[in-house]
Amino acid sequence: MDEQTSSQNEDNNETQLIELAKTKPEGISNSDIKEHMPSLPMLELTTIINKLLKNGTLELFKTKDNNLLYKFKDPSKRGNVKGADNEEKIVYKIVEEAGNKGIWIRDIRFKSNLNMTQLNKVVKSLETKKLIKAVKSVSASKKKVYMLFELEPDNSVTGGAWYQDQDFESEFVDVLNQQCHRFLVERLEEATKQGGGPLLVRNRSYASATDVHKFISDLGISKVSLSIADIESILYTVVLDNNAERITNTNGIFLYKATNKFLTVPGLAKTTCGVCLIIDRCANTGLVNPRACPYLTEWLETS
Amino acid sequence: MSVIYGKVVSLIISERFGPVVEKIVSFLFKCQCSPLLYIKRGTELPLSKIKESLCVLIKYRLVNFKPNKNENLANYSLNVENVLLMLRYPYYLNHAKKLFGDQSEMIIEEVLQKGFCSASELIIKVFDKLCNNEERSLTLSQVKEKLVYLVTAKYLTRVPYAKEDKPVPLLTVDEKELTSLPNIDIKTLVMHRKDNSVELPDKNIYWTVNFDRFHQDMRDKIIVAAFNKKFDENAGEIIKIFLRQMYIRTDPWADVSNPVPALEVKDILRKQISASHSLAFFDQYINIISQETSSLLRKAGEASGGSYQIFLKEAFTQFAWELVEQIVLEKYDSKAARIFRLVKLKPYIEPDQLQQLAMIPAKDAKKLSYQLYEDNFLHIQELRKASANNGPVKNFTLFHIKLESVVRMLLETCYKTLFNTMTRCNHEKLQNKRIIDKKHRIDTILMGMKAQNATEEQMADIEDMITLPEKEILENISRIIKKFNTVELEIDQTIFMLQMFLVYQKVN
Repeated sequence: MDEQTSSQNEDNNETQLIELAKTKPEGISNSDIKEHMPSLPMLELTTIINKLLKNGTLELFKTKDNNLLYKFKDPSKRGNVKGADNEEKIVYKIVEEAGNKGIWIRDIRFKSNLNMTQLNKVVKSLETKKLIKAVKSVSASKKKVYMLFELEPDNSVTGGAWYQDQDFESEFVDVLNQQCHRFLVERLEEATKQGGGPLLVRNRSYASATDVHKFISDLGISKVSLSIADIESILYTVVLDNNAERITNTNGIFLYKATNKFLTVPGLAKTTCGVCLIIDRCANTGLVNPRACPYLTEWLETS
Repeated sequence: MSVIYGKVVSLIISERFGPVVEKIVSFLFKCQCSPLLYIKRGTELPLSKIKESLCVLIKYRLVNFKPNKNENLANYSLNVENVLLMLRYPYYLNHAKKLFGDQSEMIIEEVLQKGFCSASELIIKVFDKLCNNEERSLTLSQVKEKLVYLVTAKYLTRVPYAKEDKPVPLLTVDEKELTSLPNIDIKTLVMHRKDNSVELPDKNIYWTVNFDRFHQDMRDKIIVAAFNKKFDENAGEIIKIFLRQMYIRTDPWADVSNPVPALEVKDILRKQISASHSLAFFDQYINIISQETSSLLRKAGEASGGSYQIFLKEAFTQFAWELVEQIVLEKYDSKAARIFRLVKLKPYIEPDQLQQLAMIPAKDAKKLSYQLYEDNFLHIQELRKASANNGPVKNFTLFHIKLESVVRMLLETCYKTLFNTMTRCNHEKLQNKRIIDKKHRIDTILMGMKAQNATEEQMADIEDMITLPEKEILENISRIIKKFNTVELEIDQTIFMLQMFLVYQKVN
């Protein structure tokens, strides 16, 4: 019982101390602590401070007049560089600042003012200590960016669900695009079958990204788990293909609906010349000419 | 007007009028406007032939003339659009037939063939032709009725005539006279048929086809078909009535129709027996059509149960967009079409953003967008930052689309396609000229024999002169020619659509 209260007390004092340190980012001295927590015995204080210093919540500084100063350290930035020399600490700090977007080695060099060989060595040693890691960026395949080991790389670096080892999986996107379109078309057909007037048909044929997401997850075509936002961007490609339209409903959610086009395939697109890629080079004379055109011959032979 | 346009015009003319007229036309195409003697110098043809050809061309409204500074001389200029319209003649005929029946088709055909014609002659000609086709119980007055209808509906129009007697007359016609047919007495017509010396009352009043009226119908047909496809038949039916009601209030070629009350359309629908479904859901249909993202039908006011306007200019802008998109889709692939539409939705887009939104791998997206740029579907706006002394110079490349120039570019492609098909067709004919000529010869012989009442056996003998392989070739050629003709008609439809867009663009 007695032990319990004392440990509770200790916890209480600890949080109080941390709170105090947080309010003063420039640091607290021993006298500050005494002022705020006069009831705390010196012995207990030393144990608490030692504990906090050990787990890195507090940092210890020495002022010019030989007073001790404690500063609060953000736990997210706490990663300690044990047994590291000054260079490593500096590089670590630079990488830390870059967050989950990572930083390019060249930029580290500019910022740290280290020369290339030295920097390489430092980076390598940090990597072996599993403090930082290298991540390949999708935007430039040869560019490596460094970030803290425990961080999850940002979508802009990995490219999100659509990238596998920096390769854009266009087939995956195509399949999803087709399936989304299929879902919308089926929904429209079903609504038309149910009938009940054009307005009802239209309203029934709208689907939100959540509906489509459920459908896609049920299909089980994706090994990666897709977020609603991912589906939203796939649906946008369906809209861009002019196979669907997007409206915003009263709650600000996007709704999608399969649509028909206004026109049938235009006459020009049906002809050989209309879709010919070298029509600019075609003339009455010369090698490319309509009289000897193999495409036209092929077209004439098909009935 | 481009070089290829000129070539197409020459081909059409030489196919229909022969090489001499073609020479004059291509000269006129080059120099736009020229007096007679200049044409002579440019073409090096004898004056009599030039005069004759010009007469023919003027008759078919392919050449206009205007007085020179010296009022005794005329400047001739080519009416290029009308030359291209000759490809559309089959369409006009078909349209007339569908709308008003065979007799009207015959009337239109006769006028198209002759260029212009007086009403009485027309009636007699058509009547004679129909009698030859053994149509029973047809009277002159029936044909006349049809003609009157065509004139009042403005499918036929009065040819301008000279009011003063000048060396180079100025041809004019009053608006009132455009649709007022002179009195035609059936009795005189009957007398004229028996005895040519009987004068016809309307000898100098000529009529010709009003292409504009046909184009108006074509335009409406396109709009109705588009709504059929986008929504369903009922929606198309409603739009059709809206368009019809629009003419009562609005000039047919206006950008936007004046408001049409929905109740009026509903009343007309009620009279149609087949329209029970569209009538039952009339309000809903109006609702979904006007709420659709393209919004070609918009509410104008609440008066008399809501009145609506049709946005014709916008309709054709959207059709043009869709047409261009389809061409991109067919010419490249769906990814390119996606890029094209993305640039349309977000003009002045950066390549990076384009890759991200279109969900296309960076490399492909770059390749496709620059290919589209190379083929003039996309346009680039470059932003250069004034180069600072230090640091890399940054340029922004922004994609956007100028629809009008894309449409003009596609029109050129249409002309080129026309040129190519015609050239190839002529080439195929030339390759097999010998067999085709033989076929013609044998046909004439057969005709002659038929007139002389030859026996079946003799006729079969002659027919056998075309061997089996030759027959095959002939069949193949006729198939090819048919194919080319369909292509010409289909291209013409695309040309019409693109031109419609440009016509509406020009109004402003």
